[in-house]
Amino acid sequence: MRMTRLPPEIRPVLESGTPAVMVTCSADGKPNTTVISQVYYVDETHAALSFQFFSKTIRNVRENPRAYVCVFDIRGRAHWVLQLEFQLSETEGPIFDAMDMQIEAIASMTGMSGIFKLRAADIYRVLSVERLQY
Amino acid sequence: MDFIACNTMIPGKIVRFLEQYANVAFAGTRDRDLVPHGHNVCGWCVGADQRTMTAFVPEEFTPGLVEALQENGELAVTVEEFPSHETYQFKGRYLCDRAVRYDDVEIVDRIRRRFVRSLRAIFADVPEDVLNAFVSKPSLAVEFEVREIFLQTPGPGAGTRLIPPVES
Repeated sequence: MRMTRLPPEIRPVLESGTPAVMVTCSADGKPNTTVISQVYYVDETHAALSFQFFSKTIRNVRENPRAYVCVFDIRGRAHWVLQLEFQLSETEGPIFDAMDMQIEAIASMTGMSGIFKLRAADIYRVLSVERLQY
Repeated sequence: MDFIACNTMIPGKIVRFLEQYANVAFAGTRDRDLVPHGHNVCGWCVGADQRTMTAFVPEEFTPGLVEALQENGELAVTVEEFPSHETYQFKGRYLCDRAVRYDDVEIVDRIRRRFVRSLRAIFADVPEDVLNAFVSKPSLAVEFEVREIFLQTPGPGAGTRLIPPVES
C-alpha cells in the first residue's frame, strides 16, 4: 500500500544503520544510482540524507529535485520504497548534529572511520512510501 | 547529443570483481518526466565481448522497468561488494529484455551464497532463510550496452569516471 507519510514502523529500519540505495536523474535525463549510508527520519513528511562526498547525486538533485530511495529491511523481509523531493541542505543545526553522530557510529561499525564525513544534511519532502514484502 | 563512445570495454579487473566478489546490486531508470525509479538487481553477468552486461531483476521490481527502458533506453546499475564497500556504477543503453533461463538462476544462486556468507558475521542472529530471501528469485533479464563505468567505493575518489577515462 502506498502512503504519503513515513509510518512509525519505518523508524527502527532507518535507525538500524543498514545502507540504502538512491536513484536520481540529471536534467539531461541520465539516471544515477548510489549506495547511501543513512536515511534520517526528520518527521512524518520529511527525511534527511547524508551528503558526504561531492557527487553526481548532489548535482542531480539540485537540477532535478526528484529522488527515489530504497531502504532494505533484511530482518523484516521487506524493502521500503520512498519517492522524495529535495528541499534544502543544512550544514548546522540539530538535524545535522544528529546525523553527524550517527554517521560516525556507522563508520566505526563498518571500518570506514575517517572516510565517512558529513558535509551536509539534505532535507527531502516525502511524496510517497511503499513497503514491498518479499 | 551523446558524446560517449559506444565501444566501451569492461576491464578484466572489473569483470573479475563482478564475477567473483560483488554480492549486491541495484538499477536506476527514469520515466519520460525525468522521475527516477529503482529496481533491485539479484544477479548479473558480463557479455562475452565485455561490452554488455545483463542484470536480473526480481518480479516485485519489474513494474515500469521495460516501459521506461523502451521509452528512453537509459540505465544505471551500481554493483557493490559488501562489506568491503568496493563499488562500481555502470551506465549504458538498453538493448533487450527476456525471461530468465536456468543458467541465469544458477548465477543468482551463486551470488546469493556469496551475499549470505558476507552478511553472516553482521547478522549472526538472523536465520539463514531470512538472509537467503534478500536475494530474490530473478524474473526478468535486461541486457544493456555499457558506456561508462564510475568508481563508487566510498572515499575521495568516489564518483570518478574510470571508463572512458576522464581526459586531464
